[in-house]
Amino acid sequence: MGTVSVVDNLNLQVEEGEIFGFLGPNGAGKTTTIKMLLNVIVPTSGEARILGQDVDDISVHRLLSYLPEKPYYYEHMTGMEILKFYASLFGIKDQALCQSLLEKVNLAGDSHKTINQYSKGMQQRIGLAQSLLNDPKLLFLDEPTGGLDPIAHIEIRDLILQFREEGKTVFISSHELSDVERICDRVAIINKGKVEKQGSLDTLLAGGRIEITADGVSAELSKQLESATAIHSFKDGRLILDIPDDQDVNTVLDSLRGAKASVQSVIPRRKRLEDLFIETVRTANYARDNKEVKS
Amino acid sequence: MKVITAIAATTIGEAIRRRVLLVILLIGVLLLSIAPGLQALSARQERTVLKSFIFGTMQLTAVMIAVILTVYILPNEIERRTIYTILCKPVRRWQLLVGKYLGAIGALGLMIALMTGLSILLYWKFQEGAPASDLVGIAQVALMYFVQTCLLAAVAISLSTFLPPLVNIFVSLGLYLVGTLFTSVFESISGQAGTHPLVKGFASLVGSVLPNFSRFNVQNLEINTQQIGNTGLYYMNSAVYGIVYVVGVLIVGMLIFENREV
Repeated sequence: MGTVSVVDNLNLQVEEGEIFGFLGPNGAGKTTTIKMLLNVIVPTSGEARILGQDVDDISVHRLLSYLPEKPYYYEHMTGMEILKFYASLFGIKDQALCQSLLEKVNLAGDSHKTINQYSKGMQQRIGLAQSLLNDPKLLFLDEPTGGLDPIAHIEIRDLILQFREEGKTVFISSHELSDVERICDRVAIINKGKVEKQGSLDTLLAGGRIEITADGVSAELSKQLESATAIHSFKDGRLILDIPDDQDVNTVLDSLRGAKASVQSVIPRRKRLEDLFIETVRTANYARDNKEVKS
Repeated sequence: MKVITAIAATTIGEAIRRRVLLVILLIGVLLLSIAPGLQALSARQERTVLKSFIFGTMQLTAVMIAVILTVYILPNEIERRTIYTILCKPVRRWQLLVGKYLGAIGALGLMIALMTGLSILLYWKFQEGAPASDLVGIAQVALMYFVQTCLLAAVAISLSTFLPPLVNIFVSLGLYLVGTLFTSVFESISGQAGTHPLVKGFASLVGSVLPNFSRFNVQNLEINTQQIGNTGLYYMNSAVYGIVYVVGVLIVGMLIFENREV
């Protein structure tokens, strides 16, 4: 049985007081990375430090917090009891603190209800409240808005923004790219355990995209126009190409017209995080596949 | 210690609400409740039959509760991801394991206490004129069952650090059966003259590593009102044996759990 390297030579630098987005496709190694940083998984080599301390130093856990994806809380306990339980793990016996956190996440009126009476959004909010008990400097949030309705979504997003205002550093792993784009200062995109891009959103999203829609395109031409940087959709002769604005648009249009295709629209637009994400992952996979074919 | 106490208290709260355990307990309580009716089946041996049935029911129920309760405790925490919210706090893995174990035996103790109370009540009600020593005897046997199932719970929770729950149920119950029925066999083989040294050594090794669950089966002494040299000392020794073994088994479990990926 062989070993699989889930995370390889990963270097991340998160600045204090920022919201950092940690992105990647499924299986990219995001949760594994977080678990290593929390010392739940021990890396085979290398070292990890958080807030200047080794991750295997348990005292660092007093300074950080973690909210896993779809966490489960003991269903028989009320919201207040959950907070008291987690507080006791820090040796905290402060009912007023628990009450104020319940108010902060807008659950004060539901503190007497048991967890099995909570909606998904309420469970996520109680999760955030428990993650604030130790007034952490650094919060790890794994898919904090996953599976929530739009209102719960906004509530959680606003709470995360509030954390930054309070000077906390927030490390978010998420597939909700529109949320990440709205709230994060910097992001890292990883693919197959390697950081492919890292930097501030302003820098990474510089430059725009151009969306070209054409009808009557043959399958051969569609294949020909497919490239690593073009986001490509083709069905029943309709081709939608989404390419970076620094790519030669005229060449693409000439190819389409030359093949008697009907160009329906050419729309320039701002680059989104989704574009960057797809472009980055595709480029990385394309390069890797080509390397494998050559070798 | 506060961390362990908090985890143990939460575990008790969760355990006493688990439906499967409550169903097993309910079956045990129902069986105990019909026990007095069985006296009619054996004239002149009513007490013996009543005691045998009570002890048998209590033991079987306690063993089933101990195994079903403990094999799922850690795997459930991992599957539901609750473990991450706990281990990212200043909580060490061994504290989690010990807290979970203490919570499990706390719940087990409550359930055995309930069955013991009911048994004593029924015995007192349906065995008029029974001496007080009989009632004390029931409590003593129940106490030994508690120590026995604490040991079984320690074995099961330690195995749960690397075995899936279903496999663990069979392994734990298998160890319990072997430790109950065959420890005397291993002891006699290892002490028998003329046996091949390798067989002797193997029997001695298995006999000393395997927990001797039969040590806690004192029901026959109570049913037949037999006396052993010093009953108090025997109970004390057995309890110490149980505690030492529990500590040993838990340390092995902690070492495995410490290095396990969760």
